[in-house]
Amino acid sequence: MNWGATVRTILLCAILILLHYTLRPLLAWRASPDFLIIALLLVSVRVRPGFAAVFGLIIGLASDSLALSSFGAGALAMTLIGFGWSRLKAVFFADHVLLNGFFLFLGKWAYEVVMHVAERRMHGAELLMQILVWSSLSAAVTAVAGVLALMALRPVLETRGT
Amino acid sequence: MARTSRFTARVDIVVFSACVLLSLLAMVLPANLREPVAGALRRSLVAPLIRLQQGSERWRAAYLASDRIELRRDTLALAAARVPTLDAENERLRKLLGFGSKMQWGFIPAEALQGRGRAEDFTVTLSAGSRAGVSEKSLVVAPEGVVGVVQTVDPTISLAILFAHPDFRVSAMSADGSAFGIVQPHVTTSSTTQEPAFLRSERYLLEMRGVPFRATLKPGTIVFSSGLGGVYPKGIPVGIVLAEIRTAEAWARTYLLRPAVNPAELTSVMILTPKRAAAGLVNIWSDVGAIDSATKSIVAAGDSLARQSATAEAAARRAAIDSAARIYADSARRDSLTRGDSVQRGGAAPVTDSVARARVRRDSVAAARIRRQRRDSLAAARGDSTRRDTTAGVRP
Repeated sequence: MNWGATVRTILLCAILILLHYTLRPLLAWRASPDFLIIALLLVSVRVRPGFAAVFGLIIGLASDSLALSSFGAGALAMTLIGFGWSRLKAVFFADHVLLNGFFLFLGKWAYEVVMHVAERRMHGAELLMQILVWSSLSAAVTAVAGVLALMALRPVLETRGT
Repeated sequence: MARTSRFTARVDIVVFSACVLLSLLAMVLPANLREPVAGALRRSLVAPLIRLQQGSERWRAAYLASDRIELRRDTLALAAARVPTLDAENERLRKLLGFGSKMQWGFIPAEALQGRGRAEDFTVTLSAGSRAGVSEKSLVVAPEGVVGVVQTVDPTISLAILFAHPDFRVSAMSADGSAFGIVQPHVTTSSTTQEPAFLRSERYLLEMRGVPFRATLKPGTIVFSSGLGGVYPKGIPVGIVLAEIRTAEAWARTYLLRPAVNPAELTSVMILTPKRAAAGLVNIWSDVGAIDSATKSIVAAGDSLARQSATAEAAARRAAIDSAARIYADSARRDSLTRGDSVQRGGAAPVTDSVARARVRRDSVAAARIRRQRRDSLAAARGDSTRRDTTAGVRP
């Protein structure tokens, strides 16, 4: 990845992080899009798996700093997802928008599952309801938002070749 | 090349493992160690993001608050729009309360539920029935005047015909009792009446028919029920004279009346029991009493002035007659004395004449004073009579 692509990726990532802390509170939906996950995907498919894991750890810790009861759970989930996406990118050529959407859905849903299991706040039927309904819904919304963002940003994005 | 690739892959695995270990370590950190780490992140890396989030939440709160404020403003605007209606209703209910306290007994308060159907133009449904004591032919009145007559009574409701109903008739008179007639609905048919078109459009107006030709009613004169006929007691306002209309009846006048009660504003009424109607309602509408008493006092004042002027005139006449009689007596005595003295001494006549002249002058001054008093009293009486004319236009 050249310097121009790196700068563009950093800028887009910064914009997505800003959106996460500005647009999400404005919408205040129960199943709202997770722009940190989209930013993680955007970065993960362009860097090495190790860097993607570090990036996931950082943004996970940043989001966990506001939720002390689950401190570390978000970091673990983001690390796993970032590394996994970066490895999958190395295995599959995922430049297709719908495939990106599927990855986003899967990543967000996995993040939610890891988060809720790790924080041990919900149990039984409540946990099942949260994972199957609200986490799925949130993952779907995130996937839609991510696909829209990727389609809008396609001209300025340049995927890393395998 | 392959060795380098394997090396970087191993580095990735090591870094990943380190990240996972760090995450797990963060999860298992005790609270006293977790908080400093989280606090350091919040104060450094996350601080600008938290400020952004706070700004967004403030924007959202402001947006929701603006919605609430707009909703509250709309509610207030709606309430403000209802204020005149409530004021009117309040005034009407106060009037009704005052009316009830004047009537004291023998009435049933009811709400007038006006239908908007095709056949309900001239009837009104009242929210009181036979259980409340309403009977057929009971009179329905409002603080403004006549409303109608109860025609059908059910246990809980009753139906009354309004004054605009074709069957409605009431014997009426003007406030001063100078004109009598029969008030009935103003049924407009262009073949029988020649009034202007704007009057023909008024479907709720009344007519006062059969008014003698000698009685003239000015526009604005209030017409009351006369009590003749036995259905409506005397003294209930029926309407106000708008104009005289020409009809085919050549032997009497017909006047167009604006009803005292506006059917569109009819919400609360009172149903009079037959006993109350039989007891009379003359003093209920105070305006009737006021007009009557004003008329009576003006007539009485006019009578007293006429009596006073007549007395003054009689006194002046008596004084003039007395003075003339004295003059005649003096002149006769003077003639006889003159005739007698003219033989004996001739200087006494001038003295007698001067005395008589002084007496005549004194009498004429007294007569002039009496005439002036009479003129003043007549002028006062004329002024009062002018005032009496103006009272005809007094409205309740």
